[in-house]
Amino acid sequence: MIDLLEISFIKNAIVGGLLLAVLLSVLSLFIVVKNWSFINVGISHAAFGGLAIGFYLGLNPTITGLIFSIVVGFLIGYISKHGKLHEDVSIGILFSFSMAFGVLIISLVPNYSSDLFTFLFGNILTITNTDVYMLTAFTFFTLLFLYLFFQKIMFCCFDEDVAYSAGVNTSFYYYTLITLIAIATVLSVKLVGVILASAMMILPAAFASQFFWHYKKIILFSVVFSCIIVLTGIYISYIYDLPAGAFIVFLYSFVFGGVLLFKSLIKRH
Amino acid sequence: MEKVLEVKNLEVALNGKEILKDINLDIFEREIVAIVGPNGGGKTTLLKTCLGFIKPKKGYVRLLGKNPKEAVRIGKVGYLPQKPVLPTKTYLSALDVVLFGFIHSKLSKKEKIKKALDILKIVGMEKHAYRHYSDLSGGQQQRVSIGRVIAQEPKIIFLDEPSTGIDVVAQESFYDFLKKIRDEKGISIVMVTHDVGTVAEFVDKVIGLNKYMHYLGDIKGFFQKDILEKLYGTEVKLLVHSPECVSCEHFHMDFKR
Repeated sequence: MIDLLEISFIKNAIVGGLLLAVLLSVLSLFIVVKNWSFINVGISHAAFGGLAIGFYLGLNPTITGLIFSIVVGFLIGYISKHGKLHEDVSIGILFSFSMAFGVLIISLVPNYSSDLFTFLFGNILTITNTDVYMLTAFTFFTLLFLYLFFQKIMFCCFDEDVAYSAGVNTSFYYYTLITLIAIATVLSVKLVGVILASAMMILPAAFASQFFWHYKKIILFSVVFSCIIVLTGIYISYIYDLPAGAFIVFLYSFVFGGVLLFKSLIKRH
Repeated sequence: MEKVLEVKNLEVALNGKEILKDINLDIFEREIVAIVGPNGGGKTTLLKTCLGFIKPKKGYVRLLGKNPKEAVRIGKVGYLPQKPVLPTKTYLSALDVVLFGFIHSKLSKKEKIKKALDILKIVGMEKHAYRHYSDLSGGQQQRVSIGRVIAQEPKIIFLDEPSTGIDVVAQESFYDFLKKIRDEKGISIVMVTHDVGTVAEFVDKVIGLNKYMHYLGDIKGFFQKDILEKLYGTEVKLLVHSPECVSCEHFHMDFKR
């Protein structure tokens, strides 16, 4: 592992991977409490449309991806809150549209296939120093924001109407949380891609909740567990030349599935 | 006495359907008021309009002398919904939920925890302080939620069917408890209820609501055949539970058999 750190791109992958492990694990608590798994899937798929626009127009895809995801995130959030359609239906339509839009745009660019694969499933080798700086700044900002307003955000997740009546600006925290999720999704695209990004934001807290019920323990366990999984995933995928993002999500799901199976076997006996 | 809630010429429509019309009422500090009426009569809508969740079509609401949205921002309005849409698992302890009541408080974390534990004692939930809120029974959750509301030190509390999930014996002690906090803290309480019989001895005022306000006054005046028939839109048979009550005797005899 120490030898690996001497290789620049692996160093970026490890630092970037660990930052994402911390960031996504903390956000995953809110996604699990709010039951936002599908909203999260919608936002992550929407990122693809934004990335494709940037790629087609020759702009920085991360920037266009961020703008597109935040807009779609707000739209999904608004429809979930005020829409007359069931939120699952509206999210399903929005993310299918974004994916279809992304594929159409990408198909207009010559030699698009390899980039399409990178967007969809990530490529750890493409994490640059700039990506690491952006991730560091965003992770720091997100953790600071959550630290300062944690109780108010948890109150909104617990019962939005009651939080509003107690004087909490619920709309501000609702849309800020969606924005943070949208940005985190786009920043995790290079590691795991748009399709697997949502898994990295759902699995940590879902896994931790199998052992603990209190949010403090869930956050702590999610972060430690995710860091171990990400490091193991990067190491094994490097040794056996496997796609790191896919392998990390596979590891998460494998351990999660194993624990569920083990728990159900214990219950039966 | 200070006026805590003022409703004038209120009209509310939802999806084009008129739910409330010509509602006028004043509620003063230290008053306990019950809003009663048939299902779909607009009781919860009135409560939600007073809290600023619903915008009136006509008229206005002044809560603590302000527009409802401004009034709730101060954090001095308590609210207990009928069927809260809670996450399946909250990942919060009963203590965490009471601590939400201190969201605007400038006390230190240690002091907030101490006060929250004292409140849990008042609502008889001190033994459950560190249990998962989602694992508590409906009645226990209700007590913890009341604890959260008390922690806010509100000037007015809105309760929507507060006895839901509480057994009959616990209901009386719950209303006794509400009366106690009203007396001690000078809070006004507005509650929506179906069971006017149970709350009768605890309330100062009754509002009979079925789209229009059919009654506003004390509990004695409410139990009039014509008022109840107008309110519920059907013929009403009054049963008075007293030793002289013939219907009750029959009921008791049938029950014994």
